Amino acid sequence: MKKNLLTILLLFSCISFVLAQNRVITGKVTDQKDGSPLPGVSVTVKGIAGTGTQTGANGTYSLSVPASAKVLVFKFLGFKETEASINGQVINAELVQDSKQLTEVVVVGYGTQKRQSITGSIASVSSKDIQETPVTTLEQAIQGKAAGVNIQANNGKLGQGIKISIRGTASITAGTQPLIVVDGVVLNNSDISSTSAATNPLADINFNDVADVQFLKDASASAIYGARASNGVMLITTKKGKAGTAKIDFTAQFGKSNPSRHREFLNSAQWLAMEEQAGVGAAKQDFASDLYPTLDDALADYKSYVEGKFTTYAAGKTSDWGTTNTDWEKQAFQSAPQSQYDLNVSGGNDKTTYFIGGQYLDQKGILVGNHFKRMSGRINLTSKVFTDLEVGMNMNFSHSLNERVDNDNSFGTPLQVVALSPITPIIDPRSGLLSGSLPGAASSYPLYYNPLLNVDNSYYHTNNYRTLGNIYANWDIVKHLSFRSEFGVDQTNSNEDSYSGRLTFRNTSQPNGFGENTNTTIIHYTVNNYFTYKNTFGTDHTLDATLGTSYEYSRNNGNDVKGQQFPSDAYKQIASAAVISGGTSTQTEYSFVSYFARANYAYQSKYLLSVSGRTDASSRFGANNRYGFFPAGSVGWVLSQEEFLKNSNTLSNLKLKASYGLTGNAEIPEYAAFGLFSGDAGYNGVPGQRFYQIANPNLKWEKTTQFDAGLEIGFFNNRLNASFDYYRKNTRDGLLEVNVPQTLGVATQTQNLAKLYNQGFELAISSDNFVGKFKWSTSFNVAYNKNVVTNINGLIIGSNDLNRVIEGQPIGVFYGREYAGVDPANGDALYYLNTKDASGNINRTKTNDYNAAQNVVLGNPTPKYTGGITNTFSYSGFDLSVTFQGAFGNKIYNGGGQYMSSNASNGFDNQTIDQLSYWKNPGDITNVPEPRLFYANGTNPSSRYLSGGSYVRCKTVSLGYNIPKDILSKIKIDRARLFVNAYNLFLITKYKGWDPEVNADFEAADQNYNLGVDFYSAPQPRTITFGVNIGL
Amino acid sequence: MKKIKIYITAFSAMLLLGACNKELNLNPSDQIEADKAILTATDVQSTLIGAYNRMSLTDLYGGRVFLEPDLMATQTYIDWSGTFQGLTQMVSQQIPVDNTFVNAIWLDAYRVINQTNNVLANLDKVGAADKNSTEGQAKFLRGLVYFELVRLFGKSWNDGDPTANLGVPIVLTPTSVINSSSYPSRSTVAQVYTQAINDLTDAETKLGKGISFYANSYAASAILARVYMQQGQYAKAITEATKVISSNAYSLVPVYTDEFPFPNQAAVHVDNTSEDIFAIQLTTQLGTGVTNELNTFYASSEFGGRGDITIKESFLNQFNSADTRLDIYNEDSDGNLRCDKFDNLYGNIHVIRLAELYLIRAEANLRLSTTTGARPVDDINVLRKRAGAPNLTVGTTTIANVLKERILELAFEGGFFFHDAKRLKQNVGPSAFDANNVVFPIPLNETNANKNLVQNAGY
Repeated sequence: MKKNLLTILLLFSCISFVLAQNRVITGKVTDQKDGSPLPGVSVTVKGIAGTGTQTGANGTYSLSVPASAKVLVFKFLGFKETEASINGQVINAELVQDSKQLTEVVVVGYGTQKRQSITGSIASVSSKDIQETPVTTLEQAIQGKAAGVNIQANNGKLGQGIKISIRGTASITAGTQPLIVVDGVVLNNSDISSTSAATNPLADINFNDVADVQFLKDASASAIYGARASNGVMLITTKKGKAGTAKIDFTAQFGKSNPSRHREFLNSAQWLAMEEQAGVGAAKQDFASDLYPTLDDALADYKSYVEGKFTTYAAGKTSDWGTTNTDWEKQAFQSAPQSQYDLNVSGGNDKTTYFIGGQYLDQKGILVGNHFKRMSGRINLTSKVFTDLEVGMNMNFSHSLNERVDNDNSFGTPLQVVALSPITPIIDPRSGLLSGSLPGAASSYPLYYNPLLNVDNSYYHTNNYRTLGNIYANWDIVKHLSFRSEFGVDQTNSNEDSYSGRLTFRNTSQPNGFGENTNTTIIHYTVNNYFTYKNTFGTDHTLDATLGTSYEYSRNNGNDVKGQQFPSDAYKQIASAAVISGGTSTQTEYSFVSYFARANYAYQSKYLLSVSGRTDASSRFGANNRYGFFPAGSVGWVLSQEEFLKNSNTLSNLKLKASYGLTGNAEIPEYAAFGLFSGDAGYNGVPGQRFYQIANPNLKWEKTTQFDAGLEIGFFNNRLNASFDYYRKNTRDGLLEVNVPQTLGVATQTQNLAKLYNQGFELAISSDNFVGKFKWSTSFNVAYNKNVVTNINGLIIGSNDLNRVIEGQPIGVFYGREYAGVDPANGDALYYLNTKDASGNINRTKTNDYNAAQNVVLGNPTPKYTGGITNTFSYSGFDLSVTFQGAFGNKIYNGGGQYMSSNASNGFDNQTIDQLSYWKNPGDITNVPEPRLFYANGTNPSSRYLSGGSYVRCKTVSLGYNIPKDILSKIKIDRARLFVNAYNLFLITKYKGWDPEVNADFEAADQNYNLGVDFYSAPQPRTITFGVNIGL
Repeated sequence: MKKIKIYITAFSAMLLLGACNKELNLNPSDQIEADKAILTATDVQSTLIGAYNRMSLTDLYGGRVFLEPDLMATQTYIDWSGTFQGLTQMVSQQIPVDNTFVNAIWLDAYRVINQTNNVLANLDKVGAADKNSTEGQAKFLRGLVYFELVRLFGKSWNDGDPTANLGVPIVLTPTSVINSSSYPSRSTVAQVYTQAINDLTDAETKLGKGISFYANSYAASAILARVYMQQGQYAKAITEATKVISSNAYSLVPVYTDEFPFPNQAAVHVDNTSEDIFAIQLTTQLGTGVTNELNTFYASSEFGGRGDITIKESFLNQFNSADTRLDIYNEDSDGNLRCDKFDNLYGNIHVIRLAELYLIRAEANLRLSTTTGARPVDDINVLRKRAGAPNLTVGTTTIANVLKERILELAFEGGFFFHDAKRLKQNVGPSAFDANNVVFPIPLNETNANKNLVQNAGY
């Protein structure tokens, strides 16, 4: 693809004919590495302008040269420039690949640029880094591979929410995800899940079609996307065909996933003892409150109550409850096979190239009932219809089916099964059916709804049909000046179909079945028109300018119908529902109209200057603030091109660069500026309307100014490369759901209020350690980010247990009562008072009164450091690649701790094994308070449920063997590779929960600042696959 | 030639753009702009219906406004095994200022108030024929909500000086923009009571007497009787109760359990009974945010609840064995004793029913040693007769017996355990009636957003 782009550029600088030619030279250009022909190589005559051609599909060329011609010059992207003396009629050339890669062309917004001349900050991931990773979505494959790009999955459910943070989080309540652009088309990246857990729109895209991904990180790179660029931009380019004989590539892989970690809970004997003790603890408290005349009365009453519950939870067994010992945690998981087939054909000639591909993916999730399938196809086509006009299309169509499981906060999510008592048998001996199957007994047996019932009694299928593509024309108007017009569409048709049968009544509150069917159609157009001017003046001045416009329109139509009361579970569609309990349809739209310009200037390839600007107008902004202007500028100095460094043997590249610019964030809900009434307020069949939203006509985009300074350095002919960037992003006019006095009849208003900054650095090192027969290369990246909210008018914003937005602290900081352990005298949970006296001294006295303790900052949910390291080895047909990825310095809040680690003071939930060290006798020193049934002793949200979340994970291991060509040639196969892939092979962490890469799905979808919450969230899968890749 | 090419291209590019600017004016489809919402009499009616809709929100008359005070006062009658921390905090009477349930009642109450204020501010658009009814209903709803708010967030009327104790902010104008008047201070308990009484009195005057699920004049009288009772204004309570009883517009359903209809044990909407004076209608159509919360917490999961509340056996000891009101308390299939009043998932939430007015009048007459309207013994025996319980005699019709009768008749329905304990200066659970921890805190979000609000003592 890069080769083609250069070809296009070279084309119009070469196609001019000069008279007085008198010799015709022919020849063939090949790759020195394997002798394969190189099409598209530029062939020119040294010192004679205007004479040149390029090689055809089979690498051959033919060029008429004047008599004065002495030397031919062969230039090709990614290869060293080669010269050959004209000493005959046939001149063949072998090109050597250039390890420097500095001539590589990088896709930037509305155009391409040579890496060497880039002054912005861009992180790149290429197809070879990600292909064949046995995961569902692109982001999962990129994890740990791009500096400053932190990717985190909510949980181990397939095709669901993943957060991408480029250089921290630049917004509190507006969008925090990067703008995603695929082949020039803005991707509709909105979550369309009808539950409170997000699905991932990228799951519809086969990432094996992706040629490369560029993350535009600083203002210089991203400001061309204006009001949509504050969170960075992710540019995805898909694979294109190359001129030459058709290539067929087939990959199949098969494997299996397991949970990457388990969590240990009490066994029956431990649980029984602890719950008995909880009854004793509660009896003592009741007696102390004078609720019983004597302690013995209280103890007897509680004993009979607790044992009554044991009988209930042991399926009616009145004694010997401990003889059943069920490990419910294991029941949440299933054996999860997967298979994946990729087939593509690519090729073309010097006029037309094509890439046609297809994929079938079938993955089972590790959670019982979770399953994902995707079928996708792609056609990428380019054709030069005239010498000055190229047209093309990139088209992806896909169908994905996600068989989802309940949200993390539902009794029906598989991992909530851990709450069930170990004395409860999986199969109820009274019925021979799964425990909880009998409607009568099931109302309080087992302890909660048994989520395993969901597997056979309910389904939730999301079918997505997606078409993403564009058509374009590129017209070389005159020399140096071209015009490109692109029309792109991203269309999503989604159908969510669910049915919950009779036996799920305890989860749905619907005794006779509940069905829901949701359709969502999103149509998203992008129209880009822009001019590109590229010229070199003299030998020293290079100018590359872009000027254009963009229009974007998106419409989302949805409808939903709910039904209940089905004749039997055999009827699952709402046609059979006796009661249609809900129906709705909705429509939202937004649009952007934009004008953009950019100029890159270079003097002697040494001094680089780039300026860009974009004006954005959007329907989302208030009437008083329709237009925003987003400029950026950057400079670069390539020291290695200076005379004093040019001939250094050690230092092969040194570039200093700096940029500054303004970007915006317009990812606010549609119509947030309007004062609104809603008509959804009927009553008993009579229509009604209600006050819905308070107006803010001044509403506008968030502004982020970003400063970036960096250097790129290369040693030993760029065998060792490093880049370092420092940045500071200041966000102002931050969009905020500001708490307003609720006496207004509304709780919040969207205002441009917040100020915050992100500051940090990124370091990336890549090194070819060994380049001989045994090859070893390493690439390493690490990023540090500090996020501080500087102004939100003194508000304290939060909607869940501990995540808050507070001035002077990072977004979503954990803020609450500080747990102080247990009073050795009586087993009370204690908290630090943390009150401040007049002189500012903090009172560290411990109290058992939760309300008396002050809220204090308890920790940061966002990692301070993130990074990854990939080592790649190859030797004699074998190749091995190992990636580690990690995050450091964050805390995780176990939101389920109040149930699962509650020293049995919040009911009969099974407890994590660490609760065994509970307080028993006066003088006991422990962190686990006395069990007191329903006395909430220490179970309120506090730092008790916080723990460190740092981890290092062996993310991917890929081991392959390339079958030797001499064997393959006998069976007429070009290439064949056998491989084993391991994903999430092992994890190093002190975190005690399932997985430190976590954010409960329902929390994450609720607010951006709900971070680092674990709530019965599934761990990441550990996947091992075997596969074969065959090329014809 | 070159130039022409450039001009053509530039021109076509501009054409492509020119069409776009008008595309920036995209108006909402699911909602409408506020300034277009209330233009006609129909719009005002829709807004009034919207107020009823807001009344039915989960945290108000979806049931929690009755459930939550009772949770604070019924420790000796129920076993709580719920896992909602915010409710457990009510049971243990240790409510932090950031309790989300407390905040939700506050917010939803002011949503109703804002709705009613929108109606009242646009009465000029309503035709003469409907004006009184519209105004009366809006004021009825507003008065009722202020009465709930002041009882939950302010000190009890009989605790110290109600003209000094702080109640809740009184807001009487609809919300349009945020300005300096958006930050009200708390009015006193007495001022809020006055506001509630004025609203309800206006409603009583302006509303008609036709019976439907909407509020009528009798509903206003009935709530006024309850308000006066809470204040100890017994004579006024008798007057208001008598207006309803003597109208004969309502009658006790013959069988006590039929007041809680659950036809064929199917979860379906049922119209008001002959005894319901005002009830919130729950249907499948109310949309998200509305569930029958009394069902959620009292009913077993067989009937769609969580079953977090079970009734202690000892509670039943108060009933005479012949009393058919016992029939509403039954063991579920797991042997847990349940209050079955709320088993119908789509059963209406009784806000006030005729039986309470007999109890009010009987108690008030006893306290004043009068027999206005009827002798207390006769009022009580109306209920006991329906229940099949032995009649009281004049001699045994004491205040204590009437209060016991209130429990037998109304238990778990209207937050009476809590509100009666305060009225009667009895302990609220383990706490004294005037303890700080049996008054809700002003929600933390609200004290953060409005610095004019003073927090309650003890928080």
